[in-house]
Amino acid sequence: MTVSGATQRTRPAMGGFWWRRLGRSRVVRTFGPFVPVVLAWWAVAELEFFPAAFFVGPDVVVAEFAELIKKGILPAYLSDSVTRLWTGVVFGLLIGIPAGFLVAMSRWARRLTWPLLMFFQAIADIAWLPIVIVWFGFSLTAVTFVIVYTIVFPLMISIVAGVEQVPRDMVRAARSLGAGRFRVFTDVILPGALPAVATGIRTGLGYGWRALIAAEIIVGTSGIGFMMFDARRAGEVTGVFVGMIVLGILWFALDALVLAPFERSTIERWGMIQTAEVAR
Amino acid sequence: MSTLEIKNLHKEYVDAYTGETVTAVGDVSFSVDRGEFVSILGPSGCGKTTVLNVVAGFDKLTSGSVEVGGKPVTAPSPERGVVFQSFALFPWKTVLGNVAFGLRMRGVPRREREPVARQYLELVGLEGFERKFPHELSGGMQQRLGVARVLANEPEVMLMDEPFASVDAQTRRKLQEDLTDIFQAKRPTVFFVTHDVDEAVFLSDRVVVLSSRPSTVAEIVTVPLERPRNWRSVLENPDFRHTVTHLTDLLAGGRAHGEEQAERLSGRVDSSSEPPVRADAGGES
Repeated sequence: MTVSGATQRTRPAMGGFWWRRLGRSRVVRTFGPFVPVVLAWWAVAELEFFPAAFFVGPDVVVAEFAELIKKGILPAYLSDSVTRLWTGVVFGLLIGIPAGFLVAMSRWARRLTWPLLMFFQAIADIAWLPIVIVWFGFSLTAVTFVIVYTIVFPLMISIVAGVEQVPRDMVRAARSLGAGRFRVFTDVILPGALPAVATGIRTGLGYGWRALIAAEIIVGTSGIGFMMFDARRAGEVTGVFVGMIVLGILWFALDALVLAPFERSTIERWGMIQTAEVAR
Repeated sequence: MSTLEIKNLHKEYVDAYTGETVTAVGDVSFSVDRGEFVSILGPSGCGKTTVLNVVAGFDKLTSGSVEVGGKPVTAPSPERGVVFQSFALFPWKTVLGNVAFGLRMRGVPRREREPVARQYLELVGLEGFERKFPHELSGGMQQRLGVARVLANEPEVMLMDEPFASVDAQTRRKLQEDLTDIFQAKRPTVFFVTHDVDEAVFLSDRVVVLSSRPSTVAEIVTVPLERPRNWRSVLENPDFRHTVTHLTDLLAGGRAHGEEQAERLSGRVDSSSEPPVRADAGGES
């Protein structure tokens, strides 16, 4: 108590006024951390530690980025990748969320499926690719299968954990207020497990995104993963760099535009997740 | 006719780790009349919460009978709303949504349940907080919401499981006074579990004292205090101290000099002039 109070009081003296004001700006907070990284990258490229065939600077990458957009390759590939991810995610959520709640709510479903869940969860998504290619060929179905597979298991497991964490008293309160089994599920279990569902979707999407790139590299006929692999084959490092950066930006956008606002308006609004005390 | 009738309640359970059969409640019988406030008091681990859980329908009894309004208890029901120590409010519902929850579950249309919900919020002093979420309220306000949520259902009996045990001492005093006021205004039937002797005496018409395990009813003590009650006047009342001392002795195992000590204490009450000091003396005895 006293220790944290003391550090808080000394912080302004050390940081300075302008620094604190800068730190409050959203733009600075989002992009600030990238400034030293980009500068270091530039420096390493300019000083030519590595031959230009292996390592290119940000200026070259930006130029290539513009070029790829002008040629229409990047937008086309990007939309292919996003369509695949979207298809996979929609099916993944449609299967994973009900299956997760079914296993969580029914003792029998749990007993029957838990060992299977553990077993199949352990087989890496990409390990399915060889057999999936045999079954579905180099098609959207093959890629979707892998994404759905990666999303479903972490989602189910986190939903089961989430349902178990719904406080017993909350369920009892609902029952003693007149809620039957179904209403307990819809009005208590479902919203009560939402933090876990959100975590599950976040993890699932992250895995799905990675699986997609891996699948595109192997199955690829188009897409960001294919673009990167194709550039490597042609010996053009710049294309690989562009691909990596696009992946990062896309995840960033997904988080900032979809996941974070959803969490802010639900579980954070309801005070269901505590903001960490450690890194205040 | 009594609202809550417990006859020879006996509850055993099998310990999940050791596999042994444990008796949680030995043999408990008592009744609560309509509009009466009855507390159950006992040493920790004597199974008072188990009694409440059986009445609420959360736990099944092993033998004996529990009837509310003449009907045997089989499952949880809105006739037996519970106020929890953990509050157990729904964090995703607003204050109004929490109070109206029971009405909604019973199929009361929206237009009818909102005025009722508002009326109960007013009863517990939460008007103006309708659109807030529970985590935005203080602990004391959260528990008042817990009470309003149960009362809005107009249950046969309101069950309260150490509802003020997790709020700070000052807030607890305030909540106890608020609860007697609400009781005075609405006259619900209340069954209250506590380990706090002062609280039991301050709130109740009668106090059921349980012995330690296997628990039986040691004594049912009638509280000789007038209503309405507030701490200021109750603390100055010798009957209050007398009852507290008697109950404290019962809990300590029914020491023979209990009466004598009570006499001495009440004597001191009369000669002293500072209420806080007297409260401390009572708490220690």
